[in-house]
Amino acid sequence: MSTATQARAPVVTRACRDAIPVVLAYTPFGLALGATLAATHIPPLIAWSSSPLLFSGAAQLLAVQLLGAGASVGVVVLGTLVVNARMLLYGAALAPYTAAWPGRWRWLGAYLLIDPVYALAVNRFQGPDNGAARDRLRYYLAVGLILWTAWMALTAAGVLLGGALPTSLPLDRIAPLTFLLLLLPMLTSRPAYAAAATGGLVAVVTSGLPLGLGLLAGAAAGIAVGGYLAGRRG
Amino acid sequence: MAELLTLAVIGVGSYAMRAAFLVTARHQPPAPVRRLLPYIGPAVLAAIALPAFVAPRGSVSFIGTVPALLAAVVAWMAWRCAQKNLPIALFGGLAVWWLTSWALGAA
Repeated sequence: MSTATQARAPVVTRACRDAIPVVLAYTPFGLALGATLAATHIPPLIAWSSSPLLFSGAAQLLAVQLLGAGASVGVVVLGTLVVNARMLLYGAALAPYTAAWPGRWRWLGAYLLIDPVYALAVNRFQGPDNGAARDRLRYYLAVGLILWTAWMALTAAGVLLGGALPTSLPLDRIAPLTFLLLLLPMLTSRPAYAAAATGGLVAVVTSGLPLGLGLLAGAAAGIAVGGYLAGRRG
Repeated sequence: MAELLTLAVIGVGSYAMRAAFLVTARHQPPAPVRRLLPYIGPAVLAAIALPAFVAPRGSVSFIGTVPALLAAVVAWMAWRCAQKNLPIALFGGLAVWWLTSWALGAA
C-alpha cells in the first residue's frame, strides 16, 4: 500500500462507517419513492431521471406528483425550488469548511449536497478531529458518492419492482425519524437546542402554508433564535 | 419530453442553490451571518421532522400523533443508549410507531 493510500484510508473508512448506516436508513425510503415514481402517469425512465437531475427525495416526490397530476410547469418548478431552498442555507453553513478546496471539487461538492451529506459533513467538520482541508474534501466526497450511488440504485430498484412492493411501506414514518437522527448530533449547545425547538414549533404552526413555506418559516425563526442566544452568551 | 425538460430546469435551479455559497466559499460572510451558520442544521432538520411527528397524516389526532411522538422519543433514547447507532435507533423508533399504532387501532 502506498503512503498516499495509507493516509487516505482512515478518512475514507470513517466516511464509509458514517454513510452506510444512513444508506440502510434510506433503503426503505428510496425503494418506496421509486415505487411512487413508477406509479405516476409519467414514463418510468423519465420519472427516475429525477434522481440524477434533482438528487433530493422530497423535491423528486413533489415534482413528479405535480407533473403526474397535470400541474403547470411554473407551479412545478416554483414549488420544487421552494422545497429545495434549504440547500442555500446548507451551502452557506458548509462554505467556511470548503473555502480551501480547489474550485472544481466545490462544483462537484455542490451537486452532492443533500440533507444527510450536509448533516454528516457538518458534524464531522465541527468536531475536534475535523482534519485538514484535504481530509475534509475526501470525507465529503466519499460520503456524497456513497449516498449518491445508493440513491440512484435504490430509486431504480423501486421503479423496477414497482407494484411488487407492499403498499404499506412506511415511507411517511421513516423519513421524519431519519431526519431526527441526523439532527441529534447537532444538538451540542443551548442555542442549538433553542434553534431546533423554535424551528420545529414554528414549522408545525405554519404547516398549512402552501409550497412548503412552513419549512422555510420554521428554519428562519430557528436560525434567528439560535443566533440571538449565541450572541447573548458572547 | 416536456416532463424531462421540466425536471432538467428544476435540476439546474436546485444545483444553482446548492452551488451559490459553496462555489464562492472564498468570500467570507460578514460576522453576523457567520454567527448564524451553526444553527442552520438544527433549525432546518427540526422544521422538517417535527411537523411529521405532530401531524403525521396532515392533521393532529390522538391515534396519529401519539404513536409518532412516542416513536421519536424512543428513537432519541435508543440513539443515546446505543452509542449513536443510527439503524438501531431508526428501527427501534419504527417498531414502537408500528406497535403503538396497532395497539391504538385495535383498542
